[in-house]
Amino acid sequence: MSLNTDDFEQSLQRQQLRQIPPEWRAEILAKTQHATRNIHHASFWRAIISTLNSQLSTLLWPSPKAWASLAAIWLLLLIVNASTSDRSIAAGRALPRPAPGRLMAWREQERLLTELLGTREMPTAEKTKPTATGPRSERQTEFPII
Amino acid sequence: MAAPFDLERLYDEHAQALFSFLLSFTRSEADTRDLLQELFIKLARRPGLLDGIRDERAFLLRLSHNLAIDLMRRRSARQRQHEQMAVEALDLFAAAHEPDERAFREALSGALWELPPEQRAVVHLKLWEGLTFEQIAELLDIPVNTAASRYRYGLDKLRQRLRPLYDEII
Repeated sequence: MSLNTDDFEQSLQRQQLRQIPPEWRAEILAKTQHATRNIHHASFWRAIISTLNSQLSTLLWPSPKAWASLAAIWLLLLIVNASTSDRSIAAGRALPRPAPGRLMAWREQERLLTELLGTREMPTAEKTKPTATGPRSERQTEFPII
Repeated sequence: MAAPFDLERLYDEHAQALFSFLLSFTRSEADTRDLLQELFIKLARRPGLLDGIRDERAFLLRLSHNLAIDLMRRRSARQRQHEQMAVEALDLFAAAHEPDERAFREALSGALWELPPEQRAVVHLKLWEGLTFEQIAELLDIPVNTAASRYRYGLDKLRQRLRPLYDEII
């Protein structure tokens, strides 16, 4: 039996493994550098944000409650402003423009109503209007003294 | 951040060993390239990863093994089956000039592919990386006895499979 473990293992170890494709080196290292550059880019922005954050903290730290209330008021105003403008725009959009014929009829109706109301109001106005019959002292003289 | 020259040095010193191990483990050249790339990107992103590491090769083999395991887990069973069918032509060894040697290497490649991945990993690390069972156990995060038994089972299978050809050649 020629297949001793040691011989067999040694014969396997002697087998030369396949070489890594040489073009992979440039490819892999280039992609690695690209990934590293992206990290540099990200860390640059992170540094800017952190600086900004620290500056803002220095500025706001003396009176954080005042700044927070101011921010809250601004936010409230913005919300109110946005909601009212939205409602008016929506209302304007919701109402359809009346047809010209209908508009004419409506105006005519309005004119008639005004006329009618106008004629009705006249007598009541006359009733309430006090008559200019002279001073009350003169009228009292008409009654006979018993 | 690891300096580019460090990565180049790491590549020049260890890429060949990592390539052979990953090719043996994944049985796919495309996966091997992706994993190798992933490994080097990881090294570039985490420069302190190799700090205090005595054996760079063993550490990088361990990292690549973990990446390969993650890749296998991400794959569905159907994908794995499809890949298993597609690896027939893949050669793990260098092309030999002599016909007998070529035949033996082809047969050895085929026999290795038939081993379960965990046995294949141990056999590869023992035979072609020359690691001890202790080192293999540490690298693959398994007990030393498990590493030794996996090697023994793997080698027995290779012997059975290659016996006719081996007897003929030797």
